[in-house]
Amino acid sequence: MRLQGVIRSTLVSYYLLTPEETDGAEEDLLPWFLRLARRSGSSPMPPKALRLALLSAACQYGRSLQMWKLGGRRSTDPRLDDVLSREPEEFAVDLQMRLDEELP
Amino acid sequence: MNGGRVLRFPPRAMPPEEVETSADRILALPPEQRIEGADAIKLEQPELLLSVCARLHERLDASPATVRDDAEHLYEFLRIPARPIGLFDEREYFLGELALIAGTACRHLSRREEARLWFDRAEGPFLHTVSATADLSRLTYQRLAVRMEERQLDAVLEMAPPLRESFEKLSMSIDALKVGFLEGLALTEGGRLDEAIDLFRKICTKAESLGAERLAAAAYANLTQAYGIQGDAAHAIEASREAIPILKRLDDRIGLAKVQWALAGMLRETGHVAAAVESYRAAQEQFDQIGMRADVAALHLVIADLLLDLGEEAAARQSVLEALPVIQELQMVPEGMAALQLLRQSLREERIDRPALRELHGYFPEAT
Repeated sequence: MRLQGVIRSTLVSYYLLTPEETDGAEEDLLPWFLRLARRSGSSPMPPKALRLALLSAACQYGRSLQMWKLGGRRSTDPRLDDVLSREPEEFAVDLQMRLDEELP
Repeated sequence: MNGGRVLRFPPRAMPPEEVETSADRILALPPEQRIEGADAIKLEQPELLLSVCARLHERLDASPATVRDDAEHLYEFLRIPARPIGLFDEREYFLGELALIAGTACRHLSRREEARLWFDRAEGPFLHTVSATADLSRLTYQRLAVRMEERQLDAVLEMAPPLRESFEKLSMSIDALKVGFLEGLALTEGGRLDEAIDLFRKICTKAESLGAERLAAAAYANLTQAYGIQGDAAHAIEASREAIPILKRLDDRIGLAKVQWALAGMLRETGHVAAAVESYRAAQEQFDQIGMRADVAALHLVIADLLLDLGEEAAARQSVLEALPVIQELQMVPEGMAALQLLRQSLREERIDRPALRELHGYFPEAT
């Protein structure tokens, strides 16, 4: 639940998706994430790796959708421009670190 | 601002019951109907591909030849034209996974060059998955298994521990145990039987504690072999009794054939030569049914050696004659070419060069 909250707030606060777009993102990300957890191999992926993968996917999703909406133009919000200029994987690692600090 | 990849927003997922039915349907179709069938079933749905890959993994030990063909077919279906698959890294994941499955099946069939080619095909896509570290580690395991089958024992003993540690760091316990197998096999082949037995016993205990019964059965099969080579019939039979019921239940035909091979080795070591020949022939028949021609050929050489002990020279020559074309065709022992030539020359003189025969079958691992 805490992870879901982080993903939602990332999409809304950093990537500035609307609540409806965020609902859609969660609907798309959930089945992908469930499939990721079932990928072949003798051992399942460890929880921490799964969590980072989900954060990374959420950032990639938010960035792609926002860039598509901007149609190649710069945003009027410099904070959004800053977030969009970062690689999603790198941004996800920052979020993961913040999450790790918050966990008991 | 950097250029961004605009994601495609996928259609809704297939219901689970439809996924299972469709996976069975696509694998039941004859190859010539696959493309049409795949289009109709919408095979590019990631839920369906996941289910198909799981089925192929399950069938690897029972029908490697069929799995190889199925995996190749599906790989080509996904590769050309470049169909969009699921979200994010799913296209790369499925391409890598199908290539890994095809390569693993080729390895089981001793088609090692082809296996290497498939492993190379898997590497590129796997570099781009979110699970790249785990996926590439699984690929490294398969490459190491090929080295084991080529009897590169020093390389296996050098490379296995770091790979095992890598799996342990990733919390991939089963895969870590599988690497332990390769170490155990290298120790067995290198004649370090006490160390091998100690390792396989640990693997049995750990696999049972993890509920990994396929792995536990395989570890007992390898214990059968190691005890057999030591001539310890009681322990070999005890280990085989642990392995066989599980292997039968799992329809692990490769595993069963290997246990048969190991028991034959035990009979040979304890001086029961005629019984050993019968047992080796039973294993050979099982390998033949699975399409594992390299193992069939290797067993022809072992049987020929024992037939010489029994004074059956004509039957021994026949056995060697059946093996040689396969050994040549599959290029099974590039390092044993001199022995192969000597053996061939002796057969032309209607005799068997026994040192050459023994040198040649010494290049084949025992029931790995």
